Amino acid sequence: MTKEKSPKSGFTRRATLRMMTAGGAVGLLAPGLLGKPAFAQTAPAEPTGRVVVGLSQEPTVFNPLMPHIEVDDGVAFSIFDTLFRITPDGDVVPNLATEVPTVENGGLSEDGLNWRIKLRDDVTWHDGEKFTAEDVKFTLELITDPNFRAWRTAGHDLVRDIEVVSPTEITWRMEEPFAPYVSFLCETFILPEHILATAEDPNEAPFNRAPVGTGAFKWGSRQAGDNLILEANPDYHGDGPYIEQLVFKYIPDMTVLYTQFRSGEIDLVGQAYITPDNYEEAKTLDERVVTLEPRGTLESIYLNQALPVFQDKAVREALYLAIDRKSIIDLLYFGVPGEAETFMPETSAFHNPDLPEHEFDLEKAASLLDEAGWTPGAEGIREKDGVRLSFANSTTTGAHLREQAQQFIQQTYAQIGVEMTIENLPPAVMWGEFWGQSQFDSAMVGITYLIGADPDVTNRFHSNAIAAESGSGSNNAQYSNPEVDRLLEDGARTFDVEKRKEIYREIQAIIREDLPFLPLFRYTNVFGRKAGLEGFEANSNTRTESSHAALWYWG
Amino acid sequence: MAAFLFSRFLQSAVLLVIVSIIGFLVLYLMPGGPLSQYALDPGMTQEDIARITEQLGLNRPVHVQYLDWIWGLVQGDWGTSFRDGSPVTQVIARHVPATLLLMGSSTVIAVAIGTWIGIRGATHRYSGFDYIATVGAMIALSIPTFWFGLIGIYVFALRLDWLPAGNMYTIGDGSVLNYLHHLILPSIVLALVHIAIWSRFMRTATLDAISQDFVKTARAKGVSERRVVMKHVVGNALLPMITLAGVQVPSLLTGALVTETVFTWPGMGRLFLDSLGYSDYPVVMGLLMFSALLTIVANLIADITVALVDPRIRLA
Amino acid sequence: MSTTDFTVTPLPRWWQNRVVRKFFGHRLALLGLVMIALLTLACIFGPYLLPYDSLYIDLRARFAPPLTGDHYFGTDPLGRDIAARLLMAGRISLLVGFFAMLLATILGTFIGVVAGYGGRVVNAVLMRLVDGFLSFPTIFMLLALAVALQPSPIMITIIIALTGWMEVARIVEAEVRSLREREFVLAGRMLGLSQAHIMIREILPNCMGPIIVAATLTVARAILLEAYISFLGFGIQPPLPSWGNMLNGAQQYLGSAPWLAIIPGAAITIAVTSFNFIGDGLRDALDVRNDNF
Repeated sequence: MTKEKSPKSGFTRRATLRMMTAGGAVGLLAPGLLGKPAFAQTAPAEPTGRVVVGLSQEPTVFNPLMPHIEVDDGVAFSIFDTLFRITPDGDVVPNLATEVPTVENGGLSEDGLNWRIKLRDDVTWHDGEKFTAEDVKFTLELITDPNFRAWRTAGHDLVRDIEVVSPTEITWRMEEPFAPYVSFLCETFILPEHILATAEDPNEAPFNRAPVGTGAFKWGSRQAGDNLILEANPDYHGDGPYIEQLVFKYIPDMTVLYTQFRSGEIDLVGQAYITPDNYEEAKTLDERVVTLEPRGTLESIYLNQALPVFQDKAVREALYLAIDRKSIIDLLYFGVPGEAETFMPETSAFHNPDLPEHEFDLEKAASLLDEAGWTPGAEGIREKDGVRLSFANSTTTGAHLREQAQQFIQQTYAQIGVEMTIENLPPAVMWGEFWGQSQFDSAMVGITYLIGADPDVTNRFHSNAIAAESGSGSNNAQYSNPEVDRLLEDGARTFDVEKRKEIYREIQAIIREDLPFLPLFRYTNVFGRKAGLEGFEANSNTRTESSHAALWYWG
Repeated sequence: MAAFLFSRFLQSAVLLVIVSIIGFLVLYLMPGGPLSQYALDPGMTQEDIARITEQLGLNRPVHVQYLDWIWGLVQGDWGTSFRDGSPVTQVIARHVPATLLLMGSSTVIAVAIGTWIGIRGATHRYSGFDYIATVGAMIALSIPTFWFGLIGIYVFALRLDWLPAGNMYTIGDGSVLNYLHHLILPSIVLALVHIAIWSRFMRTATLDAISQDFVKTARAKGVSERRVVMKHVVGNALLPMITLAGVQVPSLLTGALVTETVFTWPGMGRLFLDSLGYSDYPVVMGLLMFSALLTIVANLIADITVALVDPRIRLA
Repeated sequence: MSTTDFTVTPLPRWWQNRVVRKFFGHRLALLGLVMIALLTLACIFGPYLLPYDSLYIDLRARFAPPLTGDHYFGTDPLGRDIAARLLMAGRISLLVGFFAMLLATILGTFIGVVAGYGGRVVNAVLMRLVDGFLSFPTIFMLLALAVALQPSPIMITIIIALTGWMEVARIVEAEVRSLREREFVLAGRMLGLSQAHIMIREILPNCMGPIIVAATLTVARAILLEAYISFLGFGIQPPLPSWGNMLNGAQQYLGSAPWLAIIPGAAITIAVTSFNFIGDGLRDALDVRNDNF
């Protein structure tokens, strides 16, 4: 019911094309994060007004180091700060730090093992205490504290010997070089040592229900099940905030969410966004800005390679040919998402643009199956050597658009003698062992492949990453190709960007050929906001629309 | 009386234990679990998920977890929500007011309208009004609450734009009027079934009372029909009314759950569905226990009141 | 949700005629019976008569409002004919309702007979169990179960039956207790008939009336419950249509395609109302007194 939306956009490079639609606000400016942005001159001197963000899921986790979902990120970005921020263009810029560490500026040692971070000296916590390097040290140590229920530990578990050199300088050593760590730190919110260090159990500290941060907004009040109100922090060290109140309103029903956007009760449609069926109408609304924002997530049908039917490449090819993808995108999804052939986002430098394009051709699909020896048997279902061309497709219950796509594909498959049954499961069941241990036949799923802007996908496609066999990894399709294994290993060792491009383009070509999953489309969200809301910018390198509410203001 | 109370108390305790065991087994033995929502998070590794599972103690045998949980429950510790880290009692407490507001206002509507229809139907027996009320009550009992809600939203919110389609109040406007505006549709929707039940009940009660001797006497004395009805009949029917109110608590809760879903009302029903969706077992169990407790207490109070007032009822 | 207290007058041997006459004299019950008969016939034969198959997807014809061409009730988001789907869904919903009733009645009767005929302890334990189930807000349990178990129609039927047998058990228990000391039972016992024989052959036929009434109302309740859980998304899953799950996706399109919500809801209301009418008629005809609704 709740997991229809895309999981995580990752740190993918920002989509270059942002399709603006009618309704004003054409001059959307890219706010530079270092210098004073041009529009700041028109922003009010005093924070004024209120912005209500409508969300279809309720933010409930306010300790951002603990496991949480997208909507919680929006709150975290407003209350807390990170050492660095990632811009919509994919650049990393300093936030609590004064500069991004590089070998040139002495922040990084040549081997990438020793880090030195310089911090701002003008930052205070919402309770008035001064922010120092001790807070950073405490945060990094808390994440790897075995008693703390930390969210992501990858990268952090490589950090050793954290040393506070001065209140504004901290150093540490990495166990091994790990370039994506800068990107990871862009989502690692710094928590106050002076409050949490004395907490009996950081997992259940009162802090987690009324957090104190350094961010542009302070904790205000929360009406559970309905809304969360944050107040402007007048002492914020960065630009903004320009609004007095930031409200996250929980509206579980997508119709009501849209209705309230239309009526003006909410100013910005957040997570889960405007449903595609309302896109056409939303575009025509007065005083509303509606935009399409591509994400790094790919919707596809995973084919479990352990299944005998899917081991025949002709079957996988025929199944891809028999999907009327254009109709799914244009009609079921109202033309909102984009076509895609690969897991790599188009905006990534590693994207392979020369992949064969999908075509919908039932005759070709049928003849392909005929040639491969799959001949119609009982009830018109094809079979070969006693194996029926029949399989189940699963997704989460309550994902209406996916259910529609499933049934549509089911019908076209039936026309070429392929039986696809639909066996959907509640989210908690679907994403448990059923998915993790590859117990499905085929699954309709939206996946973000990249962590950071790094193209490494070993975790998704290497034959060592099949959890059902080795116990770890996310190669849920159980895809195994020695050539891809070799290329993935090469890619992880290679530092030369041009050479890496070659490697990853090759990988994409092989995977497009092998079809362990059938690509359906690239996720695209329909953002909507009131026309007067300025300073807003979508950032597909974060998981939330509210990644930089500090810059919002009413023009 | 003490013996009666004691035996009822014992029964309730046994019942609660049974409910808790069934609920616990069902939830904890189902595949997947609270961490499956992170399965697609690219930054979370299998190791992270395994670590948190262990930290939450979810890898322990189910009977150990159950004993742990029920021992905490006995001591007043209902556990901690997986999702928001607050104690379950706090999580539930935060959602109780919204549900009480909805249940309360719809009960007022149901009792008021139901009583009026019931008495009028009984005093004008076999009239057109009585017939329509009878048939209407049966239809009202047959309409799915959520569908009635959807139709209400379609007509009054989407088409006529008179009433809001959901939520409890508008952000930035906490006035009583604003709350009332949001309350109208959901409380009427929730009240529908109960209007039917109350009106049928009041009709029977009034008919019973009218046929009794003292009412005939009063009428013979020349007291007006209206006064007789108001004074004796309603007074007499009060007792069974209390019982009925107690008995209706579960159905009100059920209705509230559905109504809250349709109207995005931030109450316990909404919380229950959300918690199910996130596999937040402690909260789901807490709500199961809370609703069972509420029902048992309501029934108990009704039973005791009746027993205290009516000596004819034998206490088992 | 209601405490039931049924009493039945001893049924004469020629009860059928009298009952039938009385039942047919009950206008609403007759209306209900006719509606159910029509609905059942439509669900059985209708799909063969309609021009469209309930599963046929035609994306070009999606969201057609009612009375568009041969789409009498319009089409759904996949362009499928709603009339055809409604009838196919009716098959599922009515079957779930019927079998849930059957299961609940069998279970309830069994427990009622055992409780009524058994000793004090058996009676106390079983009847407290009944109280327990009755006083519990079943939808909470129902949803928890539906989430945990595979939501197939059979499973949904069983779950609904598990929460709907208590009324019958209470009725039967009361009947059995009042009948067990009656002459014909005592006579049977003196003749040395076995307990099981007495229960099944002597006592049960004598409480058929209240059981039938309760069973009819249980069908109505089961259809309604299926709609509730399917509407909330935990019940019968697409592509299998049921009246409840046709409504599940409808709220999203309430503004643009209201017929998606109106039509299946109306079907549920008609079916449930009809069963309630029939139950009411049967109650009058079989002379079963029920104080509460």
